[in-house]
Amino acid sequence: MYPFGKGFSRYLPYLLLLIPMALYLIFYFGPSVMTVIYSFTDVKNVPGSSMNFVGLDNYHDLFYSGNSGERWRSILNTLIFMFVVTIVQNGVALFVAVLINQRLRGDYFYRAVFFLPVVLGVAVVALIWSMMFDPMSGPVNMLYDKLFGYKDMFFASFTHAFGYIIFVQIWMYMGYSMLIFLAGLQSVPKDLYEAGHIDGTNKWQAFRHITFPLIAPSFTVNMLLSIIGAMSTFDIILATTDGKFNTRTMAYDVYKETFRGSLEMGLPSALSVVQFLIILVFVIVAVKQTRKREVEY
Amino acid sequence: MVKRISALVLAGALTLSLAACGGGNKGGNAAPAGESGGNAATGEKKVIKILHWKQENINKAMEEINKKFEEKYPEYKVEYTTTGPDDEYKQAQRARITANDVDILADLSGMRLSPQEWTPGAKTPDWQQWIDAGLIADLSDQPFVKNWNANDIEKAGTYNGKVYAIPTGKVAMSGLFYNKQIFEENGLSVPKTWSEFIKLNDDLKAKGITPIAVAGKDVWPLKLPVFALQSKILGGGNQQKWIEGVWKGETAFNDAEAIEVLEKAKTIQDNYMIDGFMGIDYASVPSIFAAGKTAMLADGSWDAPTIATANPELKFGYFPLPATEDAAKNASFVGKYDVTWYAAEKGPNKEGALKWLEFFSEPENYTTFVKAAGFIPTQDNISTDSEFIDKELTPYLGDFELAYEIMMINRENVGEHLAAEGVHTEYLAPGGQFKTAKELADVQQKEWEAAAPK
Repeated sequence: MYPFGKGFSRYLPYLLLLIPMALYLIFYFGPSVMTVIYSFTDVKNVPGSSMNFVGLDNYHDLFYSGNSGERWRSILNTLIFMFVVTIVQNGVALFVAVLINQRLRGDYFYRAVFFLPVVLGVAVVALIWSMMFDPMSGPVNMLYDKLFGYKDMFFASFTHAFGYIIFVQIWMYMGYSMLIFLAGLQSVPKDLYEAGHIDGTNKWQAFRHITFPLIAPSFTVNMLLSIIGAMSTFDIILATTDGKFNTRTMAYDVYKETFRGSLEMGLPSALSVVQFLIILVFVIVAVKQTRKREVEY
Repeated sequence: MVKRISALVLAGALTLSLAACGGGNKGGNAAPAGESGGNAATGEKKVIKILHWKQENINKAMEEINKKFEEKYPEYKVEYTTTGPDDEYKQAQRARITANDVDILADLSGMRLSPQEWTPGAKTPDWQQWIDAGLIADLSDQPFVKNWNANDIEKAGTYNGKVYAIPTGKVAMSGLFYNKQIFEENGLSVPKTWSEFIKLNDDLKAKGITPIAVAGKDVWPLKLPVFALQSKILGGGNQQKWIEGVWKGETAFNDAEAIEVLEKAKTIQDNYMIDGFMGIDYASVPSIFAAGKTAMLADGSWDAPTIATANPELKFGYFPLPATEDAAKNASFVGKYDVTWYAAEKGPNKEGALKWLEFFSEPENYTTFVKAAGFIPTQDNISTDSEFIDKELTPYLGDFELAYEIMMINRENVGEHLAAEGVHTEYLAPGGQFKTAKELADVQQKEWEAAAPK
């Protein structure tokens, strides 16, 4: 009747819950709320300096000052980055996962190979690709030269650098999405395919009507992870071009304004809030859309 | 079996990435000096915390000086921490001074870019905000300040009539390193005027020699030769006047002088720089020059020790890029103050910090430092024994001027074609989108006006 006993011990679970709750509030929720508050102030990263409310000034500065053209471009870049990464990364990952799921010889090996870049980490991946894409002596440029008689500037090209960054990002995290898809694929019961086979489905129909609806939950997870991941990526940009050559995104701008810009924290806070709102919109839309497709047989 | 192999592969990948991290992080993040001394057993030592960036030649000299300091004053222990350069350092600097967790910190240059009455709405630089917030110690009454050249202290270490910083040396930025052997073999000499310079480049090209190397990938090295053009051309050779002018609307980023600067920079970039210079990174450019692949290298004087290390056989010199047809006006370098020390007012050990600065200011110790750093000394009567400084730099130090990026006070939220006090020739074709100097200049002026304070 009383699973937690009587008297004081009834409240014990709640008391214990207080610890993680407090940690969450202090180290996560609190700073998030503070960021929103800071975005309306002229707070500075100097001890002892005063803080005043300035209304919407920071937001105004973001979109109506000398360099707001660049802000719009980073927002556009962020959206391009998000769409391309989400679609291509999940597409390739699903394809590879289906291939590996066919009980190939050495599927563990392939799995490990495809997952490897995730384990490597951003700094190493950036280093690898900076060397691969070295315009003077990199192997990729030699290949381009041999095949097409063309040479590229890669991470130092105003027009191509961002595309190469997207490629590296996908190369790096494809294995992660693949692993989630693989887990989904392996949970699809075999008898459904047998039933389908008896009903005369071909391979595409089996995938479209059996596999796909059943792995929809992994699809949702992957979509969310890649949307949020892509929207908040700045590390790979920092490590390859450092935001030069038209490769800035909102997340990179937040990092740059906060840690390398002026000592003012209001503007970067406002920028984070805008970034948060954009991510929120896309995540809500994505969840609504993908949830619709989830089924259970 | 398969599982075992994949586990092995994964484990291998892990160690690989770790090893790679280790390799990239040579020296580690924190390198407390004097740790090897081994006399840590003696208890109550007062710690002096010094924050600096990684630059091998200077770090070594610092460790030497710190060791001598600890020998002379055994009651102190120096904790010398270095971080990666530039932005990483700036971040560490801010974090440590805000937390009152540093006693002495280096800045990348002397005091600069302080707002003036003709710069309404200009950003206040970090150092000035720190002083205003009472975080930096006033050094005015310290006797060791007298050891330093009064003019340099005035220019780079004084704010509101009080001394807050010690600039430890100057560097030239506007010069070109040249390969003496290539010049001699082809009967070429150091050019004194712009047309001589163009002729020199054409002669080199005619002989199949690439004239100039530069690290375009990092973008900022492109600014270095332009500093010469700006300093000698803008305002008819009076950069300060021109800079005040753009604020007051008397001069402009697209006036004849500013366009001449861009045109000349474009001429060099289009015709005389090594193919694919936008893809060369700063770390590898000295070796390209040192291997004799180009006749010249656009780089700051601080890189002389690196070039000498890359090829000890190489005979090289350094001359100011001749910006105009007036040989006398061309014959001086443009540069900046380098490593500048500040003492923290509220650090854990201010008294120790002052003691250390006093020790550092002793000519003997400063000589150790400046020799290793390759700076032009900011104390008088210092002999550096450096042939490079004496023969290549000193002849051109008469009218040493500060570079544009040190003097230019920018408007807040100014567009990217003007941001970071640069001239941004990387936006010119072929790499960038602007076909002519005029197009870029017009955009710059537009961005300047758009950023005007409301």
